Amino acid sequence: MSLLSIRDLSLSFRGIHGVTEVLHGIALDIAPGEKVALVGESGSGKSVTARIVLGLLQELAAARIDGEVRFGGEDMRGFSRQQFAANRGTEISMIFQDPTSSLNPTFIIERQFAEVIRRRNPGASREDCLRIAGEALAETAIPDVERVLASYPFQLSGGMNQRVMIAMALVNKPKLLIADEPGTALDVTVQAQTLQLMRQLTDEHQAAVFFISHNLGVVREFADRVYVIYRGRIVEDGPTEAIFADPRHAYTRALMAAVPRITGMGLPDIPERSDSFDAPQISHEGGS
Amino acid sequence: MTLLALKNVTKTFRVNQREVHAVRDVSFDVREGECLAIVGESGSGKTTLANMILGLFGATSGEIHFRDSALPARRPTELRRQIQFVQQNPLSALNAKRSVGASVRLGLETYRIGERAARKAAVEAALEAVGLEPELARRPPGALSGGQRQRVGIARALAVEPSLVVLDEPTSALDVLVQARVLRLLNELRAAKKLTYVFITHDLAVVRNIADRCVVLKEGQIVEMGETTAIFDDPQHDYTRNLIRAVPVVDQTEVQLRDKLGRAND
Amino acid sequence: MRALRIIVRNPMSLLGLILVGIVVLSALLAPWIAPYPDHNGAVVDFLNNNRAPSLKNLMGTDLVGRDILSRIMYGYQISLVLGVIVLAIATPIGTLFGLIAGYRGGWVEIVLMRIVDIFLSIPPLVLAIAMMGVLEPTLTNAMLAVTLMWWPWYARLVYSIARGEREEGYVVAAEVIGASTWHIIFREILPNCLPAIITKMTLDMGFVIIIASSLSFLGLGVQPPTPDLGSMVAEGARYLPDSWWLTVFPGLSILVAVFGFNLLGDGLREALEVQS
Repeated sequence: MSLLSIRDLSLSFRGIHGVTEVLHGIALDIAPGEKVALVGESGSGKSVTARIVLGLLQELAAARIDGEVRFGGEDMRGFSRQQFAANRGTEISMIFQDPTSSLNPTFIIERQFAEVIRRRNPGASREDCLRIAGEALAETAIPDVERVLASYPFQLSGGMNQRVMIAMALVNKPKLLIADEPGTALDVTVQAQTLQLMRQLTDEHQAAVFFISHNLGVVREFADRVYVIYRGRIVEDGPTEAIFADPRHAYTRALMAAVPRITGMGLPDIPERSDSFDAPQISHEGGS
Repeated sequence: MTLLALKNVTKTFRVNQREVHAVRDVSFDVREGECLAIVGESGSGKTTLANMILGLFGATSGEIHFRDSALPARRPTELRRQIQFVQQNPLSALNAKRSVGASVRLGLETYRIGERAARKAAVEAALEAVGLEPELARRPPGALSGGQRQRVGIARALAVEPSLVVLDEPTSALDVLVQARVLRLLNELRAAKKLTYVFITHDLAVVRNIADRCVVLKEGQIVEMGETTAIFDDPQHDYTRNLIRAVPVVDQTEVQLRDKLGRAND
Repeated sequence: MRALRIIVRNPMSLLGLILVGIVVLSALLAPWIAPYPDHNGAVVDFLNNNRAPSLKNLMGTDLVGRDILSRIMYGYQISLVLGVIVLAIATPIGTLFGLIAGYRGGWVEIVLMRIVDIFLSIPPLVLAIAMMGVLEPTLTNAMLAVTLMWWPWYARLVYSIARGEREEGYVVAAEVIGASTWHIIFREILPNCLPAIITKMTLDMGFVIIIASSLSFLGLGVQPPTPDLGSMVAEGARYLPDSWWLTVFPGLSILVAVFGFNLLGDGLREALEVQS
C-alpha cells in the first residue's frame, strides 16, 4: 500500500492576468520507505506538488486544487489547517535548498531542536530534548555534538548546518521526508556528502523520501524510482535504473543530455520547446 | 600570446584583528582566446581572485598584468571596458527598478560609446546576440526568467566589446537545461567575438566541457594547473580527484572514470 | 496604476484614500466651497458668537462669531502647506545623507550617521519649543523647527536600505563597469529606496499635522487670526464642556486627517511591496 498516493491532481492560480494552470492532473505514488524523485525544470510544478502535500497551498485563496492526495490511507482533502500543521514536522518533514537560511539565526541549535521535538512530544523536558537531539546529531557523524548544540547557525559551516537540518528533519521519526533540491546552494563535495548521509539515515529510519530536483544526475544514486515532470504533466516514470538505461520520452532525454559529463561529451543543443516534449506519459515496468 | 598574467598575487584581509590569507602567492597566465577555469570550493579564494582581476580591490602584494603592462590601482576607462563581468545570481545582477535596456546600456553610456540612437541599436543587437527579443529592452527584469536574466547579464558584459570576460559561476543558479543552453551560448560567443574567458566555478563537469585549461585552488593556493583533458585523465592532487568524484553522473562511462579516480585515491 | 488598484481593493486603505481626498479637496477648494470664505481672517460677528451647531453654521461658531467649518477648511490649508514644505525639505536632505552614508560606508558613514544620531537624541517637541523660545513664533519658524527634527528619520530609513543594496549584484556590476558614484547612488540605488520613502512621506503628513497642531496648541506655532487646527483646540479647551463644538470639531478634523494619511500610507506600503 502507498504511503503517499496522488491521483489526478490539478492546480491553478487565479491572478491579475487570469487563470494560470500549473498542474494538469498528475498521479504519483510513494511506498513506505521508498525514495522517489520528481525531476523537472523550474516552473514545471515540482515544488508546488510538495507544497500541496504539506498543506501549504490549500490556505491560498487564489489557488484551486482538484484531485486526490492520500497520506497513510487518509484523504487529505478533508484535512483542516490544524491537521496539516500537526502533520508537518512530525509525520512529514522537509529539508530545503539552503540550510543556513532555513534555520532561525536568532536561536541556538539546541533550542530549535527542542521546538521540533516538542511538536511530537509536548511534555519533553530540557534534558530529554538535549539527549534526543544529541543522539540525532551523533547519527549524522557530527564530531562535536555539544558545541554544535550550543551554536547559532551562522557559527557553523554550510555542510554542518545541512547535517543539523537532516538530523532535525528525522528526529521525530517521520514517515515521509520531503527534500527540495537539498544542498544545491552548497559546494559539490558537500552536496555529495549530504545525499549520502540522507540516503543512509532514511534507510535506518525507514522513512520514505520525496526528492525534488532539476538535475537527473543528482537523483541517479539516490532514488529508487523517478518521475519526470514537464509543464505540469508527468512525462515519464519508472525505476531509476530503467529510466537511466532507457530514457524513452524526448523530454527525459533532453534533461539527461543537459547534465554536463565529466567525460567531456561537449555541450548539447537543446531546443527551448519541442512538440515531442508534449508526447504522452511513458511508464516503465517494475518498482512499486 | 598572454592576455592576462597574475604574478605572485597575495590578498590578505583583516578579520577581527586576525590576518586571513584569501589568496596566497598565485601566479598564472591567461592566453588570448582561451577559456581558463578557476576551480575551487567556497573559501578557496576564487571569488577574491575574480574581484582583483576586475579591479574591485587591489592585491596586497604581487601584480596583475594585462597586455604586458601592470594594471594600475585606478583603472582608466579603456582598461575597464576591456575587462567585463558576468555574475552568479541572475536575481540580484539586474536592478529591479530599471529596464533591461537601461542595464545593458550602462556600459555604453559610461564609456561614451556612440550617440543615443546608436546606443539603442547596440543594446538591441546585444540582446539579439544572446538570443533574446530586442523588445525585452523596455521590460523590467522582474518579467524575465532566470535564464533570460543571465542572458541579459551576458549581453551587458558583451555590449561594450571587451576582450576579457570574468564569469563568476554564471550557471550555478540555473536549472541544468538552462545551464546547458547558456554554456553553449557562451561557447559560441567566445568563438564569434574572439573573447577570452576566466570562468570561475566549483563544478568540474562544467569545466570539462567549456575550459581549455584550469587552475585548481584550495585555501587560496594553486594545487594544480594545466590542460583540462590532462587534469581529468590524471589528476595529481587528492583535492582535484575528490572534486571530480563529487560530480553527479548519469552514464556508465562517467561511472568508470569516477571509479578509476576512486581507486587511485585509496 | 497597479498600486492604485491594490489600494482601492483594500477597504481600509480605500477609506484612507477617501479621507485624504476630503481633506485635500476641502483645503484646495476652501475659497469657493467654504460657507463663509471671509471667516479665515480677523472677522468679528458678536451677534452670532459662540453658537451651537445649526443649519446656518454646521459646526457652530467661535468666540468672535466666525463659522468653525469654514475655519477648519482654511486650517487644513495651513496644515497641508506646512506638511508639504516640511517634507519637501526634510526628505531630500535625509535621503541624500542616507544614500551617501549607506553607499560609501567607512568614515563617511560613521561621521554622517553620528550627526543623525545627535539630532535623533533630542526630543522633537523640546527642540521645537526651545527654538521657538529663541526665535519669533511665526509660521516660518515653526516649519524650520519641525524640519530640523524630521530629516534624520529619512536619513536613517534610506541609510538602512542603501547599505543593503550596496552588496547587491547590480551595484557591483555598475562598479565594475566604472559608473560614477553619482550614477550608482541616484540612478541605481535611489529607485530602490523610493517605495519606502513615498510610504513614509504619506504616513508623515499625518504626523507633521499633529506636531504642528501640538505646537500651536502650546501657542508656539501659527498665530491668530490665521486659522490653525491646533490653536482652535487650545482656545476652545477653556470653554469645555459647555461650548464643546469649539474643541470637538477642530479636534475631530485633526483626527480625520491623521487617520486618513496613516491608512493610506499603510495601503501604499502594501501596494508597493506587492509590485516589487
